[in-house]
Order: sequence, then C-alpha cells, then structure tokens
Amino acid sequence: MKRILTGGLAALAVFALPASADTAAESAETWTPTTFELDNGMQVVVIPDHRAPVVTHMVWYKVGAVDEAPGKSGIAHLFEHVMFQQTDTLAPGEFDSIVSRNGGQSNAFTSWDYTAYFERVAKEQLGTMMELEADRMVNLVIDDDPEGAFISERDVVKEERRQRIDNNPGVILQEQVLSELWKDHPYEITVIGNMDEVAALTPEDGLNFYHEYYSPENAILVVAGDVSEDEVRTLAEATYGQIIPTGTAHGQRKWRDVPLLTEDKLIVHSDPKVRQPVWSRYYNGVSQIRTPHEAYALEVGLEVLGGGMTSRLYQSLVEQQQLAISAASYAWSDLHDPGPAVISASPAPDVSMDDLETAVMAEVDKALAEGFTEEEVVRARNKLAATAIYARDSQSTMANVFGSTLAIGGTIEDVLSYPDDVRAITPEEAIAAVRTVFGPDRHFIEAQLLPAEGEN
Amino acid sequence: MKRLTITAGLLAATSLSACAYFNPPPVESATVVEVVEEPAPLEVRVHSGDFAEIQQFTTPGGASVWLVSEPSIPILSLNMAWKGGEASDPEGLEGLTDAVTYHMNEGAGDLDSLGFQTRMEDLNMSFGCSASNDWTSCSASMLTDNAEDAMALIATAFEDPRFDEGPFERFRREQQVGLKTRETSAGFLAWQAASQALYPDHPYARTTSEESIAALTPDLAKEQMRKLMVKDRLLVTAVGAVTPEELAPMIDEVMAGLPETSTLPETPDIVLPELEPAEPIVVDLPQPQSLVQFTGPGLKRDDEDFFPAFVLNYTYGGGGFESRLMKTLRIEKGLTYGIYTSLSSGEHLQTWGGGGQTKNESAGEFIQGIKDEMEDFVENGVTEEELADAKAYLTGSYPLGFDSNAKIASQMMGVRQDELGIDYFDLRNDKVRAVTLEDVNRVAKEYLNPEDYLFVAVGQPEGIAAEEFETEAEE
Repeated sequence: MKRILTGGLAALAVFALPASADTAAESAETWTPTTFELDNGMQVVVIPDHRAPVVTHMVWYKVGAVDEAPGKSGIAHLFEHVMFQQTDTLAPGEFDSIVSRNGGQSNAFTSWDYTAYFERVAKEQLGTMMELEADRMVNLVIDDDPEGAFISERDVVKEERRQRIDNNPGVILQEQVLSELWKDHPYEITVIGNMDEVAALTPEDGLNFYHEYYSPENAILVVAGDVSEDEVRTLAEATYGQIIPTGTAHGQRKWRDVPLLTEDKLIVHSDPKVRQPVWSRYYNGVSQIRTPHEAYALEVGLEVLGGGMTSRLYQSLVEQQQLAISAASYAWSDLHDPGPAVISASPAPDVSMDDLETAVMAEVDKALAEGFTEEEVVRARNKLAATAIYARDSQSTMANVFGSTLAIGGTIEDVLSYPDDVRAITPEEAIAAVRTVFGPDRHFIEAQLLPAEGEN
Repeated sequence: MKRLTITAGLLAATSLSACAYFNPPPVESATVVEVVEEPAPLEVRVHSGDFAEIQQFTTPGGASVWLVSEPSIPILSLNMAWKGGEASDPEGLEGLTDAVTYHMNEGAGDLDSLGFQTRMEDLNMSFGCSASNDWTSCSASMLTDNAEDAMALIATAFEDPRFDEGPFERFRREQQVGLKTRETSAGFLAWQAASQALYPDHPYARTTSEESIAALTPDLAKEQMRKLMVKDRLLVTAVGAVTPEELAPMIDEVMAGLPETSTLPETPDIVLPELEPAEPIVVDLPQPQSLVQFTGPGLKRDDEDFFPAFVLNYTYGGGGFESRLMKTLRIEKGLTYGIYTSLSSGEHLQTWGGGGQTKNESAGEFIQGIKDEMEDFVENGVTEEELADAKAYLTGSYPLGFDSNAKIASQMMGVRQDELGIDYFDLRNDKVRAVTLEDVNRVAKEYLNPEDYLFVAVGQPEGIAAEEFETEAEE
C-alpha cells in the first residue's frame, strides 16, 4: 500500500535483506553506477540496466524520524504523505493522476535515517517524473484548513499505525522492546510516531519540517534502468538543477552513539490474539556504516548461528531436540546507529518458555565456546555474497541499495565492495563478532509474547 | 505403486546420457526405448514480441518450454507448474498437497533434509514448491555457472524424494501451530466466513483440521506427489543466461523421474448463490481495527466482458489513489490506510471483491461508504475522463511487469496457465484500448450492485447490525 513506512519495526527486518546486497565484481562494468553532482549540491546516481525500456526514479532526502523535534514524533512520515497532496502548480491529487496517466507507479517510504520517494515508469516518461519531483521539492502547499487535507491525512496515518502496529501483538511488543533498547536515543520512538503526538501534529509543523529539510543539497537522485548518464544529466539539470538551495538544510543529523544496556530486562506482552508464544533476546548490535568489518563479521557469524535451516540453532532446537518450531539469529546493521542483534525462537507445543530459553542459550553458549568451522563460515560468506548477483535482477532493489547507503553517508564503493568484504571474513573474526555482542559483559532485553491468561 | 516402477525405468534411460548423478535401476519398461531415441535437433519457435522474445520448444523428453534468453545477468529463473492442486486433496486428508510441496526440498536420494539444504546453499541456489487450489508449482533460481549441478539436485527431488519421518513430523507440528494461529488471523477468519457463506460444500471451502493433519502419512504424500507432478501436464517457463540447446537437456533431466500422466478428481464449478438481503457477517476478534472484505460475482477470463471489467476495476478500487474507493474513503474521509478491489477469474470460481481496514468505531460508515460508491457506479457509470485515465495507466504501466527475469518468467507462466496464447503480451494493450464507455457502464450495472455482495467484518466493528459468525475459535 502506498506511502510505505520502512524502518518501522517488522518492515525493517524485511528491508534489511536487499539492503545488504549489491553489484558483484564479476561484470562490474555493466552494473556499476556512475555519480555526479548538480551545481546546487544535489547528488545524482545512475545505475544502468538495459534489459527493459523502464526506469526507476528515486529522490532520497537525508532526513528521517531521527531528526524530529521532541514531541513531534511521526512528522517525518506524516510529512511524506503530505508531499503527495498539492503544490503551487498542482491541484490536490494531481500528482498521482499525472503519474498514473503516464503509466507510472509512485510511492514513498520513511525510515529513521531517510525519506525516499519513487516512480517507476517507461523510460520516455523520466523527464516528466523529474519535473514532478522537482516541483514538490520547492512548491509544496500545505492545507491549513482545520477540516482540510493535512488533517484527513493525519487520520489516515492513525489508521496506518493501527494497521501496522496496534492490530499485531508481535509488533506491539517489538515497539516496546526497541524503545527500551534505544532509550534516550532518537530511534527510541518508532518511525510512525506515538499516537498522541501524531494526533497533535499541525500543518505548521509540516511547513517547518519542509523548510528545514527539503532542498536539493539535502537530496540524492537515483535513476536505475534503461538510461545513460548523459540522458540523466541533461534531464536533471533542466529540472532539479534549476532549484535554488534554501540554505536551511543544515545537514546536521541527530545521530549519536547508542549506549550499551546496563542491566538485563524482561518485557512480556500477553494478548488474546496470541496463539503461538515467541521468545527473543535483543542485544546491542553494530552498524555497517560505522564499523563495516565488524558488521560483516557479525552478519556471517549470525548466519552460521541462526541464519536458516542449516544453522546451528535451527538444527539443534527444531530438528534434533524438537523443542522449537523456529529458531533464528539476525542483526539490524543497516541503520546509521547500531541496531539490535537478536536471538529468537518459538516453542513447540507443550514446551515452556523457560525450557526453550535454557535450550537456546545452551546452543548459543556452545557455539561461543567452540567457535565455527571453516566450512560453515565459507558457506555463509558465499551465500551472502551471492545475494549481490541475485539483487541485480531487480531495478528497485538496486536503486534502494545505493540510495539507502548514500543517504546515511556511505559510498558507492562501500556497496560495490560488499561481496569481497564479506568473503574476507575469517572464521575467527565471525566468532569474535558474535562473542562480542552476546558476551558475558553484555546485557539484553528479553521479550516474551504470550497468550492472554486463560487462552489456549 | 505400479506407476513408480515405470518412472524408475524412464529415468534410468535418460540419465545414461544426461549425467552420472543417478544409480540407474534395471531397465524394465518398453516405453524406455522411445525415450532414448536419437535426439532430433531442437525445434525452436521464436516469438518476437513487444515485451519479450519468447523461444518456444518441446524438449526431446517431451517438456513444453517457454524461454527468454537474457545473457546480461549470470542467473536463471525457472518456473514449473502442473494443473491440479489442493482441491484434489481427498476428503479427510486436507493438507496432503501442502505436505507434498513442503517436502520437495526436504531430502532426496542420498541427501537427507540437512544434506539437501546444505547442497542448495553450496550451489547458491533456491528451489521450492507450493500449491494453490488448482495448481502445483515449483520454482528455482540458480547461477548459470553451476546450473547443471543445480538442475541435477532438482532432478533427484522429482525422481527420489525421501519424505523422511523427521521433516514430516516437523511439517505436522507446523501445521498444528498453524491451526491455532489462524484462529486469530483476520484474513483467515474473513476468508472462512465468506467461503462458508458462498460455497460451503465445495473443495475450495475445505481446510486442514487436527484430524486431517493426523491422518497424513509420508506414503500418502508420496502417492499424491506422483499424481500432481507428471510429465504430460508440466508447463515450464524460464528466463536467464541460457540458450534453448543448453536448457533442454537440463529440463529433461529434471523431469525424467516424473510419471507420464495421472488422473485427478474433477473440480466442480462454483455458482455463487443469490444472497438474501442481509447485514454483514461479523467475526469477533479483539483488535482496534475491523478488516472489511466484500465479495461479489466475477467473470471468466474468456468472458467477452472481462476486459471492460478489468478496466472498470481500475476506477472502482484497483487503481490505488486514482480509484473512487480510495479517493472517497481514504483521501476525503481519512477512514482507512488503504482499500482495494480486484477480479479473481479462476477456472471454477470467479469473484470480484475487495477489502480494507478501518478503526472499529467507523466500520459502519466504512461499509456504507463502499456501498454508496457501488450504487453510484451502477446508476451513473464512469466518465469519459475516468475511462481514458484507466486505459492510459493500464497500457502505459504494462512494461513495468517485464523488467526482471523473475517477473518475465512468472508473467509467461500466468499466460500459459490461463491459456491466453503466446502473443497475449502483444495483444493485451489493444484489448484494453478497445474497451468503450458503453462496455464499462454496462458491466458496472451488471456487477457492482451492492446487494450482490457479501460483506464480512472481522474485529469489533461498530455501527452495523450484523449476523454473528461462529468461528472455530469459539467452539
């Protein structure tokens, strides 16, 4: 559904997969993006893919929920909705109509770290899409009628919050856990915002946000598909290139270190809708952009430990002991600031949470003590590196990988070197990374999702 | 089990030339001789269309393949499908076809579940199967560097799947958990209420139960697999960095272990009942929003009104922010994050319906809003401008479905399953353009009457007098 929210809770885990992929070295020349900057400071990335006469056109703004002022949670995301409403030149709803009449599909998403808008169209329509995006970068009109479009969009976002979070016991719990993990960090509040704060956002908040952050020097244009760098340059200079920077986009992000947890905590959410309990532990993880080598080592290590059906956790807990119906480990490492490293399992019928926890942690401790075999690590590395080749099949994935990396301060080279970087991880480095995040000096938040009393 | 003997014989014969992966059992079937005859040069019919150059051929082993060669990425996307799916589960054995598809990558030949999964990882490939009411499908992605090894692994899955007790017990445990979790799944509850109201005695309305899961065995699953996956109903589509000549022997190797043919029970057609004028069905679920779904009569794929309906659906609820339901219920009223409609044109069941979620307090207003829009379509139809917009989007956006190997492989499979013809991609936009305002408004009058729609609300909806629906959760 339109105006997707990523970075929010469950969505992020899904998003994390393609974001770790990239172009592989094998035929790098065909798939390597080129980049240049417009005079007004807007960065441009072109990713050639000439298989079909189609392009994916994205504008990434270096602003997200992390940048929101206290008490204004949800403004980055609500504002993203408002960007579709009205400009000096376009009547309400006309943006969508024009894109659609041109056979295009448009959408947008907001994360803690960035906000992105995109259109997918036949390549002939690329210029029109650029005109539309450039127009709303400077000419947005925000309806301040108390009965008007800003207010009804605010209601839509409240429904979106109910649909994404409040309907889903597992996501309600995750929101609580992440808020605790990121306590006193700007990631503390989920991207869509607290319900009461969203309900109090005003058109003026929207306008302030727009003026502070929406300007070409704070944006990145990514075009993937059947175009050349020259074609993109010509079109971009004629559209985005005409925009005078506001000078207000200060580029000072509110990123900072995530303090390590100082004690173990337990958060339980019981809900009448829960039929199958879930147990998990959230530890402090790492960030790919801050410490890439550690992040790749952790990624490889967690792949061996709990990355799929062949992993240690799955084989022991699900297959051999049959105490769980699922068991996994993973990390969110693609945020700018460190996200969680998670161990998670769901019990087989009649297995208690305590017995499940004991068995899972015994397997984790065993791995930490023994280390990984060369064979396991090589397999995990190759699997991760191969995602880079498969990623090329999707124009949108490619545009997302480069856009999201650049929006948090990474480079094209960071993405291109991913397969080599992953393949360079040694078994010693992989286990060391896992030992660090799950080490005896580290604390965790334990999360239990349980049926309501009397259910089941 | 007779069929299995013939299968083994066929496989042995082709495997002699194809690869040394198998241990050929004794050749004992006369059919074998035909299979190992001199391979004639591959006859490839090239269809150069607007969106893809499709190479159509039949392999020496008899598989009908549509291939698009795409050399620019070293990967291959492969789709296989057989007509016949979950609806063929015998009564009391619901879940049998799912048991088959679950186990297709859970061990074969010398490899147990872990061995098979590890081999797939070593090859950086994926392979898995799934089923719908009417179809059983498998798909695979692989790197062309080691495609022969990947195909050889898939071949063992079709020739000698193990259906070991370990994975089978795991499948059963997962199914049992699924029985419980679906009790509070809004989507499942809505589907269940609608199917019980509209076609309670049809195979499509049947679901798994404690008893049916307990009755499943590896032997039954293996037997069902040999009925579902057979040579003469196999459809193959592929896109990737291979030529027909490279692909054909690999496909033959993959399908060598399949039986020639089988008979599956006929699935009866569903005729939707006349609905009594009734309030929506309500299924109680403790959550802040209500899921509202509505189902009415649809059209067959070959109905002369299919394209008018397809174009109308855009303006109705298929066109995102350009649809009337979205404009009214989301943009104007802020009642929902999203509402959609779609046509479902299966061989045995055709419906036209949609759904969306709204806070419980506004459920009544939401449903009334949907009905009001339907009335408006019936009474006033759509405008010339709306029709032009719908056609512009539907034709202009069509190329977006052909920009990746995986999409093209699945588009081709859709065309093959619905028997639309190899030139369908090229004719489709003309069919959309040919739709007239008269067509669309006639279809609106015939199909969008709110009294023909069954409404279901799952949640704790307010503002509707409703019929309470007994769910299994409450039993």
